[in-house]
Amino acid sequence: MEPVERTELSILSEIGRISTSADDLHRKLQRIIEVVMRGIGKEGASVFLLDRSGKNVILEAAAGLNQEAVGKLTFPLGKGIAGWVAQQKVPLALADPYSDPRFQYVPETGIERFKSLVAAPIMDEDRCFGVIFVLSGQTWNATSSEVTVLTTTANQISGVIRNTLLFQDIEDRLARLASIYEISMALTSTLDLNQLLSLIARNTSSSLRAQGCTIHLLDLPAGDGENRDFRPKFIDDAVGGLDNLFGGRMLSSTIGEKRPLLVADTSQDIRLQDISGRHRVSIISVPLLFHDRVTGVITLYSAEHGQSFNDDDLQFLTTIASGAAVAVENAALFEREERLASDARIRAQEFSILYDVGTAMSATLNLDRLLRIILTAATMGGTGLGFNRAILLLTNERTNILQGMMGVGPTSWDEANQAWTEVAWKHKSLMEWIQTGELFASKDTAFNAIARSIRVRLEPGDSILAQTVLDKRAFNIIDAAADPRVRKDVLEMLKVNSFATVPLVAKGRAIGAILVDNLFTNRPITDHDIRFLTMFAHQAALAIDNAVIHSNMEAMNRDIRIIHEQLAQSEKMAALGTMMAEITHEIRNPLVSIGGFTRRLARKVTDPDAKKYIDIILSEVGRLERIIHDNLEYIKNVAPKFSRTPLNSVIEEVLLVYEDELRQRGIAIERELSPDAPSLDMDPQQMKQAVVNLVVNAMEAMEKGGTLTARTGPVAGSREAIMEIGDTGPGISPESMHNLFNPYYTTKVRGTGLGLAITHRIVKAHKGNIVFRNKETGGAVFAIRLPLPRE
Amino acid sequence: MKKILVVDDEENICSLYREELEEMGYEVTTVLDGSSAIAAIEKARYDLVTLDMRMKGMDGIETLRKLKEKDARLPIIISSAYEEYKNDFGSWASDAYIVKSADTAALRDTVKKILG
Ligand SMILES: Nc1ncnc2c1ncn2[C@@H]1O[C@H](COP(=O)(O)OP(=O)(O)O)[C@@H](O)[C@H]1O
Ligand SMILES: [Mg+2]
Repeated sequence: MEPVERTELSILSEIGRISTSADDLHRKLQRIIEVVMRGIGKEGASVFLLDRSGKNVILEAAAGLNQEAVGKLTFPLGKGIAGWVAQQKVPLALADPYSDPRFQYVPETGIERFKSLVAAPIMDEDRCFGVIFVLSGQTWNATSSEVTVLTTTANQISGVIRNTLLFQDIEDRLARLASIYEISMALTSTLDLNQLLSLIARNTSSSLRAQGCTIHLLDLPAGDGENRDFRPKFIDDAVGGLDNLFGGRMLSSTIGEKRPLLVADTSQDIRLQDISGRHRVSIISVPLLFHDRVTGVITLYSAEHGQSFNDDDLQFLTTIASGAAVAVENAALFEREERLASDARIRAQEFSILYDVGTAMSATLNLDRLLRIILTAATMGGTGLGFNRAILLLTNERTNILQGMMGVGPTSWDEANQAWTEVAWKHKSLMEWIQTGELFASKDTAFNAIARSIRVRLEPGDSILAQTVLDKRAFNIIDAAADPRVRKDVLEMLKVNSFATVPLVAKGRAIGAILVDNLFTNRPITDHDIRFLTMFAHQAALAIDNAVIHSNMEAMNRDIRIIHEQLAQSEKMAALGTMMAEITHEIRNPLVSIGGFTRRLARKVTDPDAKKYIDIILSEVGRLERIIHDNLEYIKNVAPKFSRTPLNSVIEEVLLVYEDELRQRGIAIERELSPDAPSLDMDPQQMKQAVVNLVVNAMEAMEKGGTLTARTGPVAGSREAIMEIGDTGPGISPESMHNLFNPYYTTKVRGTGLGLAITHRIVKAHKGNIVFRNKETGGAVFAIRLPLPRE
Repeated sequence: MKKILVVDDEENICSLYREELEEMGYEVTTVLDGSSAIAAIEKARYDLVTLDMRMKGMDGIETLRKLKEKDARLPIIISSAYEEYKNDFGSWASDAYIVKSADTAALRDTVKKILG
């Protein structure tokens, strides 16, 4: 056997042993080249393998060279001896490579230690895996059999590589399957978007041996697909810089074309060359497609100068992406629902506030207390609405003015701080606050005084407050100073540039407004605040309306109570009347007997003294009868029985009765009864009684005689008729003037003081009135005015 | 001679009325209650009755009704201590209504007006 053949055999058997070992490819290659190097009796050997892109050869294992070069020394296909052999797929022996134009010297690799080399392609059928070198420290003119040994060895190595690659491929596929499985499990089990994204990123990165991953997602909340932004949702720190550089273009191409994008080498790729600079990375971008809509993009970056991604990787990532798209959409939906749910929670909390306030409000019908509750709720942080200050204004429909009723809020920073610190809220709920009383120093604060001084005319254009009530709408004023609708005097008082107003509307009527501001915290008032405040105001308005109705009802009840009392009084009077009637009957009969027989006695007696005594008895009996009559008349108080009666007839009938007596007393009667005096609806008996009392008084006023004037007639320019009884007596004394019509007021020794009281009451019952005056010529005139019948 | 029946549960009133009316030339009978009044007009014919309103036993209104039943044309003067029924009875059922008074002028005037 030729020595070369033996060498060859021992090398091949050695390689055979190595190939079945448990070492990985790199380790196997390392051991193989050492066997080859020693077998051929040289000082150096190395293996270059084509990378995944098939466009470069990389130093995979080396002996006699600097180990640092392993994994780094690269030649593009065709460049350098390694690149040339890999491309030409033919062995090459160079005794002096340094003089060969194909040779490229790379410093710090240790190549300068060698003088000659032999290289052979590692071939699997037509496919080239890489190149194996044997290096000699001495000038070496390799024989053809030595080249053949190397070529044969290369074939052997190709078997090792093929098996290893096959094995690796199976392993990779298994790993990817596992990865796909893991992701799909995650996709169906996790609904936390961030967790999901990091899982996808971690799995794809490790499966594809990538440097890192970024995931961009469509902005979630925005509505219409077109204008939505893609925001980075997940970025591996390792590739943050790369994503800044390449992400934008990768993203726009992927989204634009709606299909995966593979860049093998950024420095070579026409789309990225201009921005790549010294970077040499491979990138895959895959769109997340949901219902043919791009909802996001996954981008993987390879290591700098590392392996390029290939179509398999692209395929894998696309598979992952299709599942991820669904999961991401679900998670996004879930997140949105979560958000909605939390909105609902907030809404529920708001409702509970409204409920609390509503309960508290319905518990009081005292308006002042109610307003305080409303404003406390409006200014309470934590469980309340949380505005800094609030003013409640109510409309006065009669004067058409919106009047500040109450203001609640801190007057100073100190008070504000105290009121709004957590501590203040911790131990008390809104209900408790409302029940226990005051959040801020009550009533006499400067702010309350300011609030109460606000008066706004309810006319269009007068101010934003008037507008709030008139338009029944809320206003959120951001820059009051620049807003022409805001009245500057009110602004001056409030010393705040942003505030909001809402109307208080109850049963369709704007009964007032609430003004709120955040003077101390400067927190902007949001639309949501306004909506909530409006709801609150609605409830408050109803409560206020109820309280107002209640207080009106209380007033009404008060009136009813008074009427009741009056009624009870008149019932008492009625009872008294019945009693009087009884007494009358019991007294009158004896009086009739006493008086009647005394009169008979008077006719029989001639003794002057006896006659004098009898006169006294008769006079006193007469007085008693008169007292009884007047009191009965006064107490009687029966409703008039109306009938159409000529006014003149009333006076005529009375005068007829008193004619004789008047003449006896030296009193002349002057009738001025107008033929135009109308007929009126009256109770003739009562009205006669009313006139009798006047006539009797006139008669009694003219002790020494005089003239009684009776006058009737229509009243010009009025739907009334008048009836007057005048005399020529002393007139009404100033002391009497205010008491004349009071019952039991009398200046007469034998008076009852009931005459004018009865007359007055009868006239009132006829919806008329009675006045008196003193004539310039002396004497008094009493005038009764009565309404004409309605026609 | 015209005959007058005086009905009043007060004896003193009865004798006062009798004396006053007899002085005027009438024949006067007095009874103290309603049933006696009815019995009286069943026994004899009267030209006029003065009737008290409030009496023990059958009261004035009841007596008035019964008397009118017996003789619808018999004139009746109600003589009462009450003032308030004056309007009600003034023209209804009775021919006159006078309020009892120590001054019998009203009684005398009314009787004269009816009997002439
Ligand atoms: N015509 C009058 N002239 C002067 N004073 C009068 C006249 N009418 C009434 N007065 C005064 O009014 C008072 C009350 O009158 P009245 O109510 O009729 O009670 P009486 O007549 O019983 O005193 C009289 O006491 C009298 O002082
Ligand atoms: Mg009088």
